[in-house]
Amino acid sequence: MARLELKAVDKCFGAVSCAKGVSLTVEPGEIVAVFGPSGSGKTVLLRMIAGMFEPDDGDILVGGRSIVDAPPEQRGIGMAFQNFALFPHMSARDNIASGLRATGASDIAAKVTAMSRLLKIEHVLGHRPRELSNGQKQRTALARALIGNPEVLLLDDPLRNVDAKLRYEMRLELPSLLRRSSAAALYVTQDYREAMAIADRIAVLINGRLVQVARPEEIYARPASVAVARLFGDPSINLSEVSPVADQGRLTAAIAGTEIMLDRNERETSTRQRCWLGVRPDDVVVTRQNSGGAIPARVVAITPMHERAVLLLRFADGSEWLAAMAPEALEAGADEEVFVQFAPEAALLFDHASGERIGLPPRRQAA
Amino acid sequence: MSMAELVQTDAVPRRPKRRRGRLLPYLLSLPALLVCIAILVPFVTAAIYSLQRYRLNLPYLRGFIGVDNYIDFLSDPAFWNTLRISLVYTAVTVVAELLLGLGIALLLRRPTRFHNAVSIMLLLPLMTAPAIAALMWKLMTNPSFGILSYLVGLLGVHDFKWASDPSTALFTVVLVDVWVYTPFIMILLLAGLRSLPRQPFEAAALDGVPASFVFFRITLPMLAPYIITASLFRLLDSIQQFDIVYAMTQGGPGDRLMVFQVQAYLEFFQYTNVGRSAALLMILWLITNILSNIFIKNWLRLRARAHGHA
Amino acid sequence: MDHSSLAGRIFRGIALAMVLVFFMFPIVWILLMSFQTNEQILRIPPRILFEPTLANYEALISGQLRTAAGNLQISFMRNLMNSFLLSSASVILALLLGVPAAYAFARFKFRLGETIAFTLLSFRFAPPLLVLLPLSLYYQQLGLNDTYFGIVWVYQLIALPLILWIVRGYFEDISPDIEHAYRLAGHSWREAFTRIAVPLAGPGIAAAGLLSFIFCWNNFVFALILASADKQPVTVGALAFVTASGIQYGQIAAAIVLSVTPTLLLALYAQRYLVEGLSLGAVKG
Repeated sequence: MARLELKAVDKCFGAVSCAKGVSLTVEPGEIVAVFGPSGSGKTVLLRMIAGMFEPDDGDILVGGRSIVDAPPEQRGIGMAFQNFALFPHMSARDNIASGLRATGASDIAAKVTAMSRLLKIEHVLGHRPRELSNGQKQRTALARALIGNPEVLLLDDPLRNVDAKLRYEMRLELPSLLRRSSAAALYVTQDYREAMAIADRIAVLINGRLVQVARPEEIYARPASVAVARLFGDPSINLSEVSPVADQGRLTAAIAGTEIMLDRNERETSTRQRCWLGVRPDDVVVTRQNSGGAIPARVVAITPMHERAVLLLRFADGSEWLAAMAPEALEAGADEEVFVQFAPEAALLFDHASGERIGLPPRRQAA
Repeated sequence: MSMAELVQTDAVPRRPKRRRGRLLPYLLSLPALLVCIAILVPFVTAAIYSLQRYRLNLPYLRGFIGVDNYIDFLSDPAFWNTLRISLVYTAVTVVAELLLGLGIALLLRRPTRFHNAVSIMLLLPLMTAPAIAALMWKLMTNPSFGILSYLVGLLGVHDFKWASDPSTALFTVVLVDVWVYTPFIMILLLAGLRSLPRQPFEAAALDGVPASFVFFRITLPMLAPYIITASLFRLLDSIQQFDIVYAMTQGGPGDRLMVFQVQAYLEFFQYTNVGRSAALLMILWLITNILSNIFIKNWLRLRARAHGHA
Repeated sequence: MDHSSLAGRIFRGIALAMVLVFFMFPIVWILLMSFQTNEQILRIPPRILFEPTLANYEALISGQLRTAAGNLQISFMRNLMNSFLLSSASVILALLLGVPAAYAFARFKFRLGETIAFTLLSFRFAPPLLVLLPLSLYYQQLGLNDTYFGIVWVYQLIALPLILWIVRGYFEDISPDIEHAYRLAGHSWREAFTRIAVPLAGPGIAAAGLLSFIFCWNNFVFALILASADKQPVTVGALAFVTASGIQYGQIAAAIVLSVTPTLLLALYAQRYLVEGLSLGAVKG
């Protein structure tokens, strides 16, 4: 099988730039999620690979061969669309078989049956797309994309338009499905959980630039910048402006007037610079008693979220943090005075001006 | 070809653009382009003719005379008659058809099976060729056996001569125009009425707002784009009316119904005065061009709405 | 707006009845006339009940018109044939020219395309004689005067804007991704056009075709200027027939019935699409 390579791909529409020097390699059998906020250029990137847009600059290679000059039908690409893009006037069977027919493959019926069994849509093969549920539509679209054994698989937010239950199911099913095909797969999504559940690596795209390409747990634990840190995690990361002070091998910073000890490994931190300090809500510990070095806060509100309780905390200086925990771990009620702590290694430091992360805290497991 | 052009790309590329596929849209629209040119050539020719002394029966007198044909119109009562008749004809037909069409659309507003059947029946006059419709009315208004002549006779009006009497000729052709084209306004406004959102009307009904207020303050403003588009459609067609007038009276009696295109037709074929005919049509074109620019704006807005990307 | 009050209902009922009488009576009356002899037509007062005769239709179909001055050869059936021939040929040509162009205008944004589309649209509203009169002089030089091809060519003025703008709307309503998906499945753009775009725009293409047929059939002025007797469609032919037959009113009525029946039937068949067609795609029914 072939590897997919993007080399310094640029694309702009008029004054709007959608891709700036995007370089990325996807190995055969690997799933790379392209993740970013809406409008960051994810879909445009996919469409350049598929041949719907031409890159202004740079090159796209499949198996070492440039495909930018090839028409879409000769690129060996399978694609699943966010809006399914099924052929409304053909049955699910004909939709799936359309690619095989074009190449004059043998055993079309058997292959369609096998693929539909894999995707659990055997019973609706005779139906037209409008008679299918959204979930069946997406499975049909996936079957259509997978059946030709393409060298490159492009999935453009395929779970966007299906309901929550099905999305959950598909998150479990998709990785093994995609791996069976041993294609180089690019998976576009706006949902960081989906990216983390499905992908081997995640490419974070912001404003047309790849800001970080790494394994999911690495991105979660060591985001390249404030922007990336904010995109991963729900509720999103707590950020406070701090000016760390190095003193006798210890690194400290003041949050809302309280001195907090930071990880000692942060040797690269210059004491002169102002930083953003980020702590994920899951790493925030809320107690009633001050066991030393904790920040006093008041619980403003408590809301349940994803089987967790989320606390909105307000510090003395008026800044607010969120803490997330299992409901049974909840000690305090609303309006109570509490104390906030976090492990030194849980704190991430980012340069205040560039937003880039400083230092290398030890690798931790993603939540 | 690649699908790269499928969405607007005005980008200035840094790498040399690939040629392949760029020509496809031009190739696909080439036939339409040819037809376009086939229209534009005679159009330009007509504009040139209008600046010439050009009579088919006196070819050796042909020559460029600038805007003399147009200047001659200023002192020509026949031209002013044509302009007046065309404007009166247009105003009367459009107003009558708009009021009648709106009234019928309101009557048929609720989509019951009966109302739908009626609105389909009303399409029949509209789908009748206007020239043939004129013949139908000619038969019905025949002074010796026409059913309409007979009926007005019963009402005590004898010797009503319809299109052959200068005082009633305009009324008669307007009647035919109304018969043919009112359904056009009606079905456009009916489609408009039925596509209006319901909430404002339901809210008004709940609040007990009087019907007249609902009509003038809710229905009419919301229907306005449809009314404007339908009226402009009719305005543009009406000022160029030819078929009905020609089939009914050929512009007569006398010069009573010499609307623009009938006058131009006769200038060309009867008096073989190509230059004058062309100048007359250029003036008509000028009027329609101004109207059609307004029209196209409204029409595009409605079209965007119909295709759900307003 | 008031559906409940009795007075309102009665008023609506009467108004609707009057509307129906005004718009339907001429059609019904001419239909009745076409089954009457001249003597029955000329009778005063007119009668609703009469013994119908097919003589008028027989005369038209056989082409032999019996008048007081003797037998007259008429070519009305030829006019009818011409109408069929001219309208069908025009629509077929307009579809062949217009559907690919409509696709290009819907899918590719290019300046020339918009220019063509709007030029055709604006000439839909320009005085037809402005183009026709110079064209008739050109046609004489080119030998296209009084040829079927020449007439079919100018009928594109009627059919092409209609097809272009209606079908374009249908193409625009198809998600381009469906075509993209088909291309990625290994098909050329031509296959995507013929097997995806055209079938999906099928209803629009059919509607535009039917409407173009009706409008070509109903056209009067183009053929009046460009065609002589043996190429004339019914609209022009019927007028000539009135002049020729003089007082054969029954036959005139029958000729009228024959010339409007095809379009009225088509209109009933295509009524779902008429709103859209009449507004050139601006209003959907």
